[in-house]
Formats: sequence, C-alpha cells, structure tokens
Amino acid sequence: MTAELLAGLAAVLDWQVLAFLAAGVSLGAVFGALPGLTATMGVAVLTPLTFWVSPEQGLAMLLGIYCGAIPAGGIPAILINVPGTPASIATSWDGYALTRKGKAGLALGINALASAAGQLTSIAFLAFLAFPIASFALRFGPAEYFGLALLGISLMAGVSGDRVLQGMLAGSLGLALALVGLDPMTAYPRYTFGLSEFLDGISFVPVMIGLFGLGEVLSQVSDRRARARATKIEIGRVVPKARDARSLVGSALSGAGVGTMVGAIPAAGGDIGSVIAWEQARRTAKDKGQFGKGSLRGLAASCSACNAAIGGAMTTMLTLGIPGDAVSAILIGALLIHGIQPGPLLFANNQAFVFSIVFLLVFACLMIMVVGLLGARPLAKVLSVPPPLLWAGIIVFGTVGSYALNNAVADVWAMYAAGLLGFVFRRARIPLGPLVLGLILGPMMESNLRRALILSGGDWLALVARPIVAVFLAAAVLSIAWPWIRSRRSASRSNLGPPSSA
Amino acid sequence: MRAGRSIGILSAGILLAACSAPQGPYPAREIKLIVQAAPGGTSDTVSRVMASLAESRLGVPIVCENRPGASGALAFSFVARRSPDGYTIGHAPVEIAIVRSLGYADVGPSDVSLICLVSKTAPALVVNADARWATFEDFITEAKGGSGAVVMANSGIGSIWHFNILLMEQGTRARFTHLPYGGSTPALVSVIGGHSDGAVAGVGEVVSHVQSGTLRALAVFDAERSSVLPDVPTTHELGYPIGTPAWSGFFGPAGIDEERVSQLADAFEMAFGSPEWAKLCRERGMQPLFLGREDFESFALQQQQFFEEQIPRLVRLGAP
Repeated sequence: MTAELLAGLAAVLDWQVLAFLAAGVSLGAVFGALPGLTATMGVAVLTPLTFWVSPEQGLAMLLGIYCGAIPAGGIPAILINVPGTPASIATSWDGYALTRKGKAGLALGINALASAAGQLTSIAFLAFLAFPIASFALRFGPAEYFGLALLGISLMAGVSGDRVLQGMLAGSLGLALALVGLDPMTAYPRYTFGLSEFLDGISFVPVMIGLFGLGEVLSQVSDRRARARATKIEIGRVVPKARDARSLVGSALSGAGVGTMVGAIPAAGGDIGSVIAWEQARRTAKDKGQFGKGSLRGLAASCSACNAAIGGAMTTMLTLGIPGDAVSAILIGALLIHGIQPGPLLFANNQAFVFSIVFLLVFACLMIMVVGLLGARPLAKVLSVPPPLLWAGIIVFGTVGSYALNNAVADVWAMYAAGLLGFVFRRARIPLGPLVLGLILGPMMESNLRRALILSGGDWLALVARPIVAVFLAAAVLSIAWPWIRSRRSASRSNLGPPSSA
Repeated sequence: MRAGRSIGILSAGILLAACSAPQGPYPAREIKLIVQAAPGGTSDTVSRVMASLAESRLGVPIVCENRPGASGALAFSFVARRSPDGYTIGHAPVEIAIVRSLGYADVGPSDVSLICLVSKTAPALVVNADARWATFEDFITEAKGGSGAVVMANSGIGSIWHFNILLMEQGTRARFTHLPYGGSTPALVSVIGGHSDGAVAGVGEVVSHVQSGTLRALAVFDAERSSVLPDVPTTHELGYPIGTPAWSGFFGPAGIDEERVSQLADAFEMAFGSPEWAKLCRERGMQPLFLGREDFESFALQQQQFFEEQIPRLVRLGAP
C-alpha cells in the first residue's frame, strides 16, 4: 500500500505532469467562469489533444479542467448573478447578495476556500471509503432516484424565502417546462409544436443564462434605484476573519458530505447536491432569515457541496467504471484511449495509478484555491466596469455561450425568452430558484417514478417499502411540514406556557 | 452613376462565377464536419479522429462541429440543407436511416450524398455477472413464459439497441418488460445495480464491464464472433439470425460533385488504413469496415428500407 502510494505520488511529481495540470486548471477556470461554457465542454473538447501525451499528462490536463471549472463557475455567480456552470446556481443566491452588500471580496474568498475544503473532503472519502460509497450509489434504482428528486423538489418552499406561494407558482412552471420534449418512457413528442428542436426538451443551460443573466440585466436597466446601487463598488476583505471562518467549518463539512454522496450517484451532480446542502445548512441555522440574503454559511455550504460532487463522481467512476456525471463519462472515454479501464480491476491491479489520480485531484484543488484567492481582487474589478458596458458584456457572452452549447440558434431564442421571463419574475418578486429546481429535477422525478412503477407492476406502496426511498420521502414531508409544525409549537408555547405547569 | 452600375454588374458577375464554379482546385478551404452527438461520445471520437487523420491527405483542416439533438435529426437536416459544395459534410450513424421512420425529421440516406462507411458495431445482450442465466437459451427460456417477469433495460424507445430487443422478441418469441432509459450508460448501470435483468448495447459499450466482472455477455447479435468478446457466442451460431448493427459513415448534402465525393472518400480510406484508426476501433469495440461510395449507398438504402418496414411494425411510439 505505501509503495503504491509513493509510486502514485512520484508519477505526479514530475514537472511536465504538473505543467499540464496547471494548464488544465487555468483553462478550466476560463471555461467555468464564462457562462455557457461548461466543465463538460472543456473536458470533451480537449480530450482528443491528450491522445498524444502520456496517460498521467493527459489525465492531469483533463482533471485540471474539471477541478478548475467548478470553483470558477462560482465567480460570475457571485459578481454578476450569472452562474458560470449549473453547479453554481445555489452559490449565486448568497454570493450575489454579498456582492450587493459590498462584500464581493469576502464572497470570492469563501468560494475559493469552501470549494477547496469540499473537494479535499471528498477526495479523502475517495481515498478511504471508495467501495462503501460506490456500493451505496449502486443501490440507487428508479425508486431511489424518484425519492431524491422529490426531496429536491420539496426544497422549493425553502428556497422561496418569504414568498412561498409565488415560489410554488414558479416551481410548477419549471415542472411544466420540463415536460416539453419526447416522453421519456414512450418517446411520444410532447408540446413540441412539430419542431425537431424541441424533441430533446428545453436546454437547461440557456434557460439558466437567460433567467439569471439577461433577466438581471433587464431588471437593472429598468430600475433606477438598482442602477444607483450598482455604481457603488466595494470589494472588502477577501480572507474571512478567523471567527467567521471557524463558524463556517461546520457548514462546509456537512456540505461536503452531501455533495460527495449526491455526486457519487450516477446522473446526479453538483447542481442538485449544492441546493440540498444549502437547504440543509439553512434548516440547521439559527439565522434562517439571512439565507439567500448574503449568509456566509449558505455560501460556504453550496460552494463546498458543488466541488465535493467531483470527488463523489470520481469515486463511482474509478470503482465501478460507471460515470458519476457528464464529465466523468468523457473521462472514461479518455482513459480507455490510454488503455486504462476504470472499474474494480483498476483498484486491484493498478493501485499506484489510482493514487496518482488522488494526488492530481489534491494538487489541482490547491492550485485553483490559490488562483481564486489571489485573483479575487483583480476579478472583482469587473464590478467597476460601467454598468452599461457590463450589461452589454453579459448579453454578448450569454448569446455566444447559449449558441456554443449545441451550435443551435433555438438555444439562443430560449435564452432570450428565459431572460424576459426572469425580468418579469424579478419585477413581480417571484423567486427564480424553484423554477430552476423544477426544470432540473422534473425529468428525473417523472421518468424514475414511471420506471419504478413499471418495475413494481403499478404498486405505489412498493416504492415506500424501500429504506432509502422511505428516508427521502420522510425528509421531503418534513421539509414541507416543518415551518408549520414550528409555528404551531411556538404558538402553543406562548399561549399555554410550559406543559409541565399543568 | 453609370460607372457605379457597371462596377456593380461586374462584381455581381464575378460573385456569380465564383459561386457556380464546381471546377477549380478542391478543397481550397477548411471543411466543416457536423457531428450529430455531443462532444465526448463514440460518434464524436470517430469523427474527430477520422478528421484529424484525413486532413493531411486533403491538405485543408477538417473542423468538427457538434449539433446534438433529436437522435441526430437536427444535424442530418442541417447538413442536407447546406450547399453541396463539399465544404460541409456530416457524420452518418445508423440513425440517419431511422429518424424519418420515427417522425423526427424528413431526411434519410436517399436524400443525401453518401461518402463512405468506416465502422460497424454489433449489439450484445448482457446480464448482471451474478445473474442465474449462464446462456442465451436460459435467458430466453425464462422470458418465453409470457409473464413479462424478465426486465430489459433499453437505451430509449426507438434507439437502435431498443430496436434490437424488439427483434429479439420477434425472433425468439420471448416477452420482456421494457424499461426505457435515456441512453446506453444508464441502462447498463441499471443492470449492474441489479435493478433490471438484462440490456442490449453495443459491444464496445459493454466490453469494459464484462472484463471487469460486473456484467456477463450472453450473446453478440451478429454472424461472426466479435474480436473484443471472442468467447461470447453469436445469435447466428445459436440458431437465431437476429440483430442489426450500429455503424459510422460520412455524408454530405445531395448533389455534391462526384469528383469531390471520391476525393473525400479517398482521404477517409487512407485514414481508415492508419494504425491510429485500428487502435481506436480496438479500444471502442468497433469492427473496422470500409465501404466506398457505391457500396455504402446500397448498404444505407437497404438499411433505410429495412427500418421503414420494421419500425412501424415493431416500435409503437406513445404506447405504454
């Protein structure tokens, strides 16, 4: 074991490998920070380039992109309220609120530190608990996915703040939009108006760019007070005070736990994980009202979780040869080209290689943390760009990014339509978070419920009888009922006094 | 005024001449290769590797552009609508012969210029490595009961691997409960996790799981044994001549000058002969197979006819 560990470390401590890793991290940071360019795309586009280098060098580059893109996706989420990748949606909730309070530097600092904390924790899980995590992930059948999706959807209430009814409206709209496209079970076209462009459903990334990016621009343009606010630039301190940092460790660690598990489950990644982690942090916090309005703990939990999903996805990929998310699906292809086959045999036969992956992940993570901390101040300068230029920039990058995703003009129209919708929602003070949750989780919930019912022969009770599903469903019910129960309890306390007095 | 007009007429004439000239050296500028799938998958890898190998023969860059969606229908229609100048071509997988029958787009092999075929991938039936079925016969005997107790995960209704499951039902009188997934990977994961009993996917997609001991391959749907799964019997050996493969080729809009099609086909044929291509085929479990323009044409049209007859009979879209 020690020999393999050292061999793995030696393979990585080569200046060429480290140079490839640094190149990957910087490229990844660019892909992550530009909305519309995702980690998946970066890894896919550069995979063919790695055919001509050694496995360690190629893998260093690809893992660097992966690890660089996710934390970098939080940067535009914090500075301009446009998530760079879907994983950083939850980051924008508290991150952008902090920017508006003149604490952009602190938000970027926490993004860098919590991202690193989340990823290092998940790598520790990968190194020591890979097989138990993988066997847990494998137990996820259709019923379990349905439970997870339902739990995610039940968080709509939590992410709506004090506008629960409006949030539910937005969430229902998200679920309705998720129905567009081929029926996942029967391949019958639904709400496509006969257009082939709609057969695969509404692309999520352009909608996200439109809702958050264009919608925010339109709302700032039309709102004089917001314009006045936007001209006030403060960056503030980057590294949190020791007292603040200590209070964040708990949320970052629990976020990392959630992120690792969700990331390990195939087809569920950092986007879902970070929302669940954020809500978990909110529910256990004393200052619930601060969440979504610039809570440091909310930010730390979401940043940590979306990066911990990387370690989770890598765990499933390395132990089972099954992709844990879209990026690891491409990494498997890249490894196969180099004659390396991820799966149980890799752990048995080539432990040194597994350790070298672990070390590559650790180094990539430290590199992007340093880049994130040193870059916070220069990056935050984007706020001092005159607003009209910034707005124009967001529209240009949003348009190009939406098109680049699938080279489809339909996606650009989807982005503009979502932008108008985002503007209307902002004006009507309807929260956007639930709409996004509905759009991400709707297809997962629908198709897996129907699969589960095919497997159980139409028996609904058989779904609940599975332990993991029962836990998810109980948590979902609790997350909807909890505010009501709490208010009842506090009401009965103040009316009747302590029950022991009777 | 007069001078301006004549300059206008002159430049319009030059433009017209430039547009309508199929003569002149080809290729004179970069060629765009439209890939019908997202970056990272087999279609994308095949296209990018082939493009980078054929470039040197043609002397101009071949740039891949991904236009995924609707089983490839978006990309096929996009290429079919381009000008047939040989500067926009596309990757042609088996789906080009299928999408019209599924109603996704009105395009098929008969509406385009076919260039050449470069590989073929046979389907394979896999079960969990711990499953109680040791042979193909065991598996279909249990599925013949008609109770639908055997659950087959598929990669989506109307996909080539789902269609092969339907051919298997037709050819063996087995009856399955069908569990549709959004692609081969989740369907195989469902079998590995023990949530469904079996799945059909390309040999290349199952081989790594078979070698690492999580899946067992019961049969390859082909006439000849697969080079990557040499111990697995073929359906033809077992007395069931069923199965239709996936394949990879290239095409362009209808009406490309024949000379240019041959130039492209020659470049791809040279790429086909390279050790890099042989290596990629080995790793992805594809069978290298080259068909020139005419052979590919008759093969693809045959496939189109086959799917146009069989899909309305076997695949019921919208049926539960």
